Amino acid sequence: MWNEIPLKQPGRWPEGIRLPIIISVHHQSEEAAVVFGDGQVDPFDYSERQYGGRRGAWRLFEILQKHGVLGTWIICGATVEKYPQISREVKKAGHSIAGHTYEHEMMCNYPPDQELRLIQKTVAVFEDLLGERLRGWRTCFASHNTINLLLEHFDFEWDASIWNDDLPYMIEGYGKKLLEIPFSSYSDAAAAIQITNPMPPTPYGTWHSNTPEFIVRTMKAQFDALYERGAERAVLMPLTVHDFIVGRPSRSLVLDEFIAYAKQFDGVVFATHDDVRAWWLKNYSAQ
Amino acid sequence: MATEIKSIANASWPAGVRLPVALTFEHQSGEGAPLLPGDRPNYMIGGAMEYGGRRGIWNILEVLDQFAVKSTFFVCGTTAEKYPDAIRAAHNAGHEIAGMSYAFDRVRTASPERERTIVRKTVKVLEDVSGATIKGWRCPDYRVSPQTLDILSEAGFAWDSSLLNDDLPCLFHCSGGALIELPFTTSTADKTFIGYPYPMRGGFEGLANVWDSEFDVLYRESRRAARFMILSIQTWATGRPTPLRVLRKFIERLRTHNDIQFARCGEIAGWCSNHTTN
Repeated sequence: MWNEIPLKQPGRWPEGIRLPIIISVHHQSEEAAVVFGDGQVDPFDYSERQYGGRRGAWRLFEILQKHGVLGTWIICGATVEKYPQISREVKKAGHSIAGHTYEHEMMCNYPPDQELRLIQKTVAVFEDLLGERLRGWRTCFASHNTINLLLEHFDFEWDASIWNDDLPYMIEGYGKKLLEIPFSSYSDAAAAIQITNPMPPTPYGTWHSNTPEFIVRTMKAQFDALYERGAERAVLMPLTVHDFIVGRPSRSLVLDEFIAYAKQFDGVVFATHDDVRAWWLKNYSAQ
Repeated sequence: MATEIKSIANASWPAGVRLPVALTFEHQSGEGAPLLPGDRPNYMIGGAMEYGGRRGIWNILEVLDQFAVKSTFFVCGTTAEKYPDAIRAAHNAGHEIAGMSYAFDRVRTASPERERTIVRKTVKVLEDVSGATIKGWRCPDYRVSPQTLDILSEAGFAWDSSLLNDDLPCLFHCSGGALIELPFTTSTADKTFIGYPYPMRGGFEGLANVWDSEFDVLYRESRRAARFMILSIQTWATGRPTPLRVLRKFIERLRTHNDIQFARCGEIAGWCSNHTTN
């Protein structure tokens, strides 16, 4: 069980920051491929998603490098095992890294003991292969146990799994504290045409994503709204890109063009979840 | 078991070719239409796809001829039987004829024996109709079975294009020898932008934009690393007058670069085989 620790006054960002943008790169390769009713993995979906691990993640990495911005890489344990080189490069470049379950298990379908074992397994992969002690977590399809398990059994500093707010909030339980940094379906640069339903998984790939130009417009619209609002109060823009979708050549321009657009505005910073956590904690220490 | 050896990251294209571009046309005439409940044939969607056999392929051949562009046609055996003239014309014009099953047979869970029969039957029909030698394949629905690549290699195929997992060709060692895989992508496929009954995302303009973007990014990247561009196009979708104009404009645009080369899949696979056996 956990409680939220409310801020007594509205939170703010450090001086000079008007709109932090967190780019989350979902690096999960073929882990979430659709499984048919007969128990077989869909070879089409598998192959399309595998592109993310083999190529797409590298293209996204290069775009971030080109613009000189850092983000958070949300990585499945099994993906690190299959494609360790890109994770090492990501770490070396200074991006933040968060765990994203082992094989993209939809945790809402797992009992707590299994969810716990899968989180432990994932944490161990990052330690063993990358020497990375995970500070952050983004689950796949949060269960009602996810936050409890993170608090009770681990020492995560932040979680970014829940879709329920505009701004971070501190939670406390099991004698520990964790900053929840929410995001939303609107932050996903796939802008999927269908709502993804975990049971059974509905298709989610380039076929089910809106057109690149639609997504660029959607991202700019969100940016404009948040930037305007940011003149008066704290705002935060989460942006999610998947390696096998936005990593495709034609779709990579969505990220490239959006970063180029946002960079022109004063007070915009591209931040990692770790940066955002450090900034937001100051609101708690100030009170 | 087919084993991937490597993606051909150090592929070197012929002198003067910075980026090979493969236009691949998938040609069926309604065999791929989803069935109505009770497994009844769907002649509404089937009819829309039959357009490719009756009309679309001829429109496309005309545009390709206008610009002297050579490309690859993936053809269903039954479509070749129903509309043999177009397949002959495509072959005689210098296009490559490749297989896409006999009657849009889905092989994901097929027995090896059934899959072998499908491949054999398709090759025979396509060779009889066109006079071409069939060396390449794309699976219907882009869903391979665990043994597809092995079966193709045993049947003497040189290349396959059913996977979607890379920017470059990959070399596979299969039970029948080496096979080159030319991965493609549905992220730029015409039917996913304009092809009823798929979601009509972006329309004709969206299709033009995505082809342009794909080219821009790959062309830029091809300066420092080997790349190739491959488009999956339906004769029943882009064969219609309005998307046909999108195709024409796309070809016109690419022709302003003298270092891109429209190539058949077989040519690209050949360039890879030369390279990998060195």
